[in-house]
Amino acid sequence: MKKNRLMIVLFLTPALLCYLLVFLYPSVRTTVMSFFKVESVSDPISSWTFNGLENYRTLWATSIFKQSMKNIARIWFAGGLGVMIVALFFAVSLTNGMKGVKFFRSVIYLPNVVSAIAMGTMWINYVYNSSYGLLHNIFATLRLAVLSETLWTGPDNLFWSMLVAYCFGMVGYHMLIFMASIEQIPRDYTEAALIEGANAFQRFYKITLPFLRGCFRTNLVMWTVFTVGFFVWAQLFSPVNLSNATVAPMNYMYELVFGSSASTGTMRNSGAGAAIGVIMMVIVIIAFALTNLIVRSDDVEL
Amino acid sequence: MKRKVLIVLLALVVLTSPLFAGGGAEKATKKTVTYWSMWNEAEPQGLVIANAAAAFEKETGITVDIVFNGREIRKTLQPALESGEKIDLFDEDISRVNSVWSKYLLPLEDFAKKSYPTTSGKAYVDSVSTALIDLARAEGGGTLKVAPYQPFAFVAMYNKDLFAKAGITTTPKTWTEFEAVCAKLVAAGITPITVDDAYMAAFFGYNLSRMIGYDRTLAMADNNDFKDPAVREFGQIWSDFAKKGYISRKAASNIYPAGQIEEIAAGKVAMYLNGTWLPNEIKGNAPNMNWGAFAWPTIKAEGVGIEANNYGAQCFAINANSTVAEEAFQFIVYMTTGKWDGELAKESLGVPMGKDSEWPKETAEAKTIIDNTTKWMTWAVGMENVADVNAKIKENFSRLILGNLDADGFYAAMNK
Repeated sequence: MKKNRLMIVLFLTPALLCYLLVFLYPSVRTTVMSFFKVESVSDPISSWTFNGLENYRTLWATSIFKQSMKNIARIWFAGGLGVMIVALFFAVSLTNGMKGVKFFRSVIYLPNVVSAIAMGTMWINYVYNSSYGLLHNIFATLRLAVLSETLWTGPDNLFWSMLVAYCFGMVGYHMLIFMASIEQIPRDYTEAALIEGANAFQRFYKITLPFLRGCFRTNLVMWTVFTVGFFVWAQLFSPVNLSNATVAPMNYMYELVFGSSASTGTMRNSGAGAAIGVIMMVIVIIAFALTNLIVRSDDVEL
Repeated sequence: MKRKVLIVLLALVVLTSPLFAGGGAEKATKKTVTYWSMWNEAEPQGLVIANAAAAFEKETGITVDIVFNGREIRKTLQPALESGEKIDLFDEDISRVNSVWSKYLLPLEDFAKKSYPTTSGKAYVDSVSTALIDLARAEGGGTLKVAPYQPFAFVAMYNKDLFAKAGITTTPKTWTEFEAVCAKLVAAGITPITVDDAYMAAFFGYNLSRMIGYDRTLAMADNNDFKDPAVREFGQIWSDFAKKGYISRKAASNIYPAGQIEEIAAGKVAMYLNGTWLPNEIKGNAPNMNWGAFAWPTIKAEGVGIEANNYGAQCFAINANSTVAEEAFQFIVYMTTGKWDGELAKESLGVPMGKDSEWPKETAEAKTIIDNTTKWMTWAVGMENVADVNAKIKENFSRLILGNLDADGFYAAMNK
């Protein structure tokens, strides 16, 4: 027993040290920084000026920050709902013994392998372009003039166009998690239900869904983490400076910490950037706790 | 015994020989300038600078060790400087270097007073653009702390062939002439002007400065206060222009660089209020474009005129802790005067720094604008300094172009 304890300490210490160094220290430093006036993220601590809650107050009074919070709320809810429904649909279909499962699974997962930059470029230039994009061409062929002339990246559609493009790439990831869970469900239940004469919908609602509670929790937490870290797609749809339709908190944080790429007159404010980091961290912790509370994994035991 | 002594002597000779070798002495005196560059290795500026560094080493024996950071330099430079990494020379935008990294800059006045092999016997400051040196001093709080290069001016770039096709022989000097130019272009089936989302705020700021003057416009941006009636007038002008087809409808959805590539480079739109860097940015898409440039005309009497423009440059700066500052400045002079200044302008279709350097034909018309500029305006007349303001302008101007907002709606949205 003594030997075992020594081994545990020996093996865990490096991992614990790594964790403290690369996660805990930056988190604590960021939290402390959020209460100070700091220009550059690498400024020495001696140059920081205590600012109390001013960074947080400034953020809540800034319309683009509030807009960024609204945007990720919409991404989380509307995008999450869409992605989970489509991912679950594909997962159930592909675990139903249909032919070509491997092919379809690979095709649906493929956007996850392709770089987001390439995907974004494809959507902006070859799907949404109002002169030669896929949507323009399809609607023009169908003689739907209003739709074919729609500016998909115009001010009214920019957010939804970005969201669809983002969700398209996320379906495969969540589908695989659902598929892995569905494959764990003992076949006895399904076979018994079949003998009892249950149809596909009944089997789905009475057997599959209840068994997927733990999986839903995992997907929900992952979706929340991805949403909080939403950055690249907003950069792609507004590459030079921030737009109300696409901005996410991380984009605003990036501009506060490193300054604007276009305007050299933008003042850096790493303290406010750190405050955004802290707010996002708190959101993830709350989301994780709530998910654990609402969706208990031990509700259904396999 | 004799054999042992011989072996020891031979070993001593072998071990001490490098101390007496010529190579050792040469190595000790050879200097290296470490240069953190804002360019990427593959872009025209990066290629020219790399070639210039090689030629410089051949001529002077001074090695320039280039670290290509690209635009990431605005994130990577400061931590590197703070951690004491050996960086002698770096470059970025003239305003950013002077404001963000001012504490790391070595004053350059003493170096700039001297003459160098490529300055034709003149002092360095007298052989390069006076306007840019003045700007560098102003940005440096009255002292020259950076050496500007790759100058640019924010002007209206236009397609000369499309102007000719519409029967336009001269560029517009007044707003009435500008409207006439737009009308002729539309009559010829050409869309007069476009813009990308990246430049909408600059477009708005420039137009307002031409309506109510520089200071009032700048105050509006700084205070995020758009109650000035000129904002409604701006809305009226561009709402009318949109209805007349003077501005591309696609401009409302152009994600940079869609407008400059799909509309300007494709030859569908004639004008773009942009900068002298535009020909270089789209030369791959429009290698044979016949470029012209004119200063944005005054819209109302209270506004500034074609004498007021935004111009600027990238700039070289020397780390205050550099031990090879003199050598670093020699390289700066080598890059910003004579052959390599011209080469840089030619390859990047840009603007040269040296007074004697030849301007590429793509930016030749911009020379007159810069020469006649007496009032410097800050970038976008301050409209991009605050993210809130920039985002608001982009969204509302897009809606104005599409007709979703009229002048009153635009004014109300800007003041919401």
